[in-house]
Amino acid sequence: MAALISLMIAIPLIGAFIAFLTRTREQARSIALLTSGISLVISLILFSRFDSSISTIQFGESYPWIASLGVSLKFGLDGIGMPLVLLSNLVIPLTVLFAWGETKEANKFYGLILLELVGVLGVFTSLDFFVFYIFWEIVLIPMYFLISIWGGPRKDYSAIKFFIYTHVASLVMLLAIFSLYWNTYQITNTFNFDMFTLLKNYSLIESSIFKDAIFLALLFGFLVKMPAVPFHTWLPDAHVEAPTAGSVILAALLLKMGGYGLFRVILPILPYSGSPGKLISLMAIIGVLSILYGTFLALAQRDLKKMVAYSSISHMGYVTLGAAALVPLSVSGAMYQQFSHGLITAVLFMSCGVIQHSAGTRIIHDLGGIAKHMPKLAFLMLAGFLASLGLPGMSGFIAEFLILVNSYFTLPTFVILALFGIVFTAGYHLWAMQRAVFGTYNEKLGHIHDGADYEVLSMAIFILLIIFFGLNPNPVLNMMTTNAEQLLKFVVLRGVIT
Amino acid sequence: MSYSLLAPEIILTILGLVIILIGLLTKDESKNMIGYLSAAGLIASLVYVLGNINGMGTFFYNALVIDPLSQIFKLIFLVVSLLVVIASISYFKDNRNQDEYYALILLSTVGMMVVASANDLVTLFVGFELASMSTYVLAGFEKRNPASLEAALKYFIIGSLSSALMLFGMSLVYGITGSTNIPAIIAYFKTNPLFATSSLDIIAMIFLIAGFGFKMALVPFHMWAPDTYEGSPTVVSSLLAAGSKKMGFVAAFRVLVLALVAIRMDVQMAFAILAVITMTYGNIVAISQRSIKRMLAYSSIAQAGYIALAFVVTTQMSIAGGVLLALGHALMKSGAFIAVAVVGYMVLSDNRNAKNTDDLDNFAGLGKRAPITAFSLFVFFLALAGIPPSAGFIGKFVLFYSITIEAVAQASNWLLFIVIIAILNSALSIYYYARVIRYMYVLPPVGEKIKEPAPYVIAILLAVIGTIGVGIYPEPFIRMAMNAASVVLGV
Repeated sequence: MAALISLMIAIPLIGAFIAFLTRTREQARSIALLTSGISLVISLILFSRFDSSISTIQFGESYPWIASLGVSLKFGLDGIGMPLVLLSNLVIPLTVLFAWGETKEANKFYGLILLELVGVLGVFTSLDFFVFYIFWEIVLIPMYFLISIWGGPRKDYSAIKFFIYTHVASLVMLLAIFSLYWNTYQITNTFNFDMFTLLKNYSLIESSIFKDAIFLALLFGFLVKMPAVPFHTWLPDAHVEAPTAGSVILAALLLKMGGYGLFRVILPILPYSGSPGKLISLMAIIGVLSILYGTFLALAQRDLKKMVAYSSISHMGYVTLGAAALVPLSVSGAMYQQFSHGLITAVLFMSCGVIQHSAGTRIIHDLGGIAKHMPKLAFLMLAGFLASLGLPGMSGFIAEFLILVNSYFTLPTFVILALFGIVFTAGYHLWAMQRAVFGTYNEKLGHIHDGADYEVLSMAIFILLIIFFGLNPNPVLNMMTTNAEQLLKFVVLRGVIT
Repeated sequence: MSYSLLAPEIILTILGLVIILIGLLTKDESKNMIGYLSAAGLIASLVYVLGNINGMGTFFYNALVIDPLSQIFKLIFLVVSLLVVIASISYFKDNRNQDEYYALILLSTVGMMVVASANDLVTLFVGFELASMSTYVLAGFEKRNPASLEAALKYFIIGSLSSALMLFGMSLVYGITGSTNIPAIIAYFKTNPLFATSSLDIIAMIFLIAGFGFKMALVPFHMWAPDTYEGSPTVVSSLLAAGSKKMGFVAAFRVLVLALVAIRMDVQMAFAILAVITMTYGNIVAISQRSIKRMLAYSSIAQAGYIALAFVVTTQMSIAGGVLLALGHALMKSGAFIAVAVVGYMVLSDNRNAKNTDDLDNFAGLGKRAPITAFSLFVFFLALAGIPPSAGFIGKFVLFYSITIEAVAQASNWLLFIVIIAILNSALSIYYYARVIRYMYVLPPVGEKIKEPAPYVIAILLAVIGTIGVGIYPEPFIRMAMNAASVVLGV
């Protein structure tokens, strides 16, 4: 059972090709559900065998690939990657279930969703920078198609903006990877792309300006993906035009790649960078700015989906803030925020999708009182919104609580600023619910029907997961904490923070 | 010393002459077999080159040399010619002048291979002229089509001008060094670097750069390329863009790089500017094209700009990157042009008198009408944009990496800017490729599904396999390119 991770990546890949070749949508969606389900089972096996008390790589695999460049196919999991692998494998089958009724070119649709799974799993498990970069890029292509084939009226613009914006960011990151690779070559005189070796040798770079340049290039690559203000402008466009399944995958998984990069790459090299103090402040400023700016823009939106998109920016701001605080529990809180936001945002985007489908509009002003005709949706949406605003007992609360309380030790000013965001976060969620879902029914909408059974089922499972991980965070949080402590050992050793 | 290393050239020359004879003796109806015969000859040569990929030797009093550099470029030329010939079996089906067409393709291939092997300026020039003369005729092969004639004429006039410039540069080099043998020239320059001789060196080099620059279609020597690629028969455009253009690169690797290093002339900045202008111009102009052949022409100008980055730093890694990208570009571009030929076939089978068969509108819904072609074109476009895992990505990766490290090693800011510009260019190119991809997969089809002719499908799929194969298993190719680079640098 040594090759579980490569099996987990290979099965959806094969599934994607089979799905492309199927003729009917029944076949395509069954293949999609089946292969992503198998992948989920494998990730659950991995999860159950995972030892949360150690911070080293588990289930490691390595195969030779391009020897002359020092590239090999290395996969493995630790407390940073494992929860996200689990998240990806939970989100994709449930998205397939949610999109069970897709009729337009169903074989391509489900095939592309499976390819997204392959891409994100590759990113979260590969331990070789070259392979990591390949998966990082591959993720873009299915998403481009998901937006440009199944998207809304401005899909062309949004799809190409998404592609080019994030591709430029990846290329800047690639420059930094080049520099790390070259640095390792200078030191050891061998070509090697192993991620940990490259990051370890970062500390041996002499010029502190060069160190900072590499750091900033990597940070830029990750922040655009998250996205953090001011690099967020691709996100609202992409979300508004993407089909619901696309939005769910984009928000629940693709954004997490950016956060994953922070923990996997940025935090290990931060203490050795040229001017860590300034860089920490920069990250904290960007984090708080994302929280506040995302919140205020969400408050101002008329389109429900755009509001949810901005709320994603705001929630991902907590990840940056928690990572910048460099306290073990704030960092594990940030990791937990990634996991939890993946689950919560899926429900929110699914709600928007059901409303759009049923009422024909997502403009908050044109809705009103739809709870009367859509009771199941209203209940699940309310649960999702409450989770999103941080109601205790749900997973979002634990994450944000950990981040804010523990970040206060090192970044008090920023935490106080971020606290303002919380008030408005509650505000825009409740206000939107009040206007769109409750109150008197807007008769202009005509007769509208509730979400389909498969949609409700998928959302209900997400809500149950949110409550489960809200009441019982330990299985996931323990492994995160182990790794966060290990990451920050060096920070303390270097005396970056006291 | 055995002449068997020259077997590929010998096979192709004899075959080319035999085909002319066959053409005289057979009836028009049975000429379709000539295509298969040519393909067989090319496959035999290809197998031979692959079998002797590490072959070494010099022939005819040092006029020809076989080394890793010549072998990898011969591989490129033979692969492109093979793909073109396979596709031509459909494209020129039932044409009564097929015999001349295939003979010219084979002879131009021989010309390119001679350039790859040339160890003497005269041999180099003869190879260039053989390949160019054949391709001038090929470009005008559709003699009833005014665009094809314009393409051929323009190509001929500008090609002759570039040959004249090159020849003048060579004559100056001969005047300075007293030899036409390339190693002897390099040796002379090594002992008599720039400061020791007159400014004649610089003039000679400028003429050589201009002459080779025309062949490589670097801006500002590029203006023939878009018109020629657009007007020529599509399969010939494929040969020109993917194959004969690489002649300029191999000649530059063999002569220019060595000579410039030897006379210690600092042309880093000049080549950097040339490369940056070329790639930026190619990419920006490609955006506004509606003719896909023209768009591909500008995209290959842009690709030439990337490959020319190899001349900027001239390290082993950068030249290997340039060679890899040349290999990748040969596969991607020939495949892309052949795919456009399929679209032309599709449009003409809808309407016999259609004009502008490569217009963007004809690509609408191609994913439904010709699924194999559309998917292959999708692969080629992503590969041209440098998305992994593909030959285009590996080439760009090694090339950009080599310049980044050189920038860091020399602590040179402007080299870093060059890489950043190249990277932004690479991102910009996605815009026009993605537009065609959107037409193919997002827009509704404008006609019925067609049956894609088998020869086209075989040619395209071979190119797809090559493009992805080099991307997934680049190890042997990187090694070959590294060996070739060490030849270029003479280490």
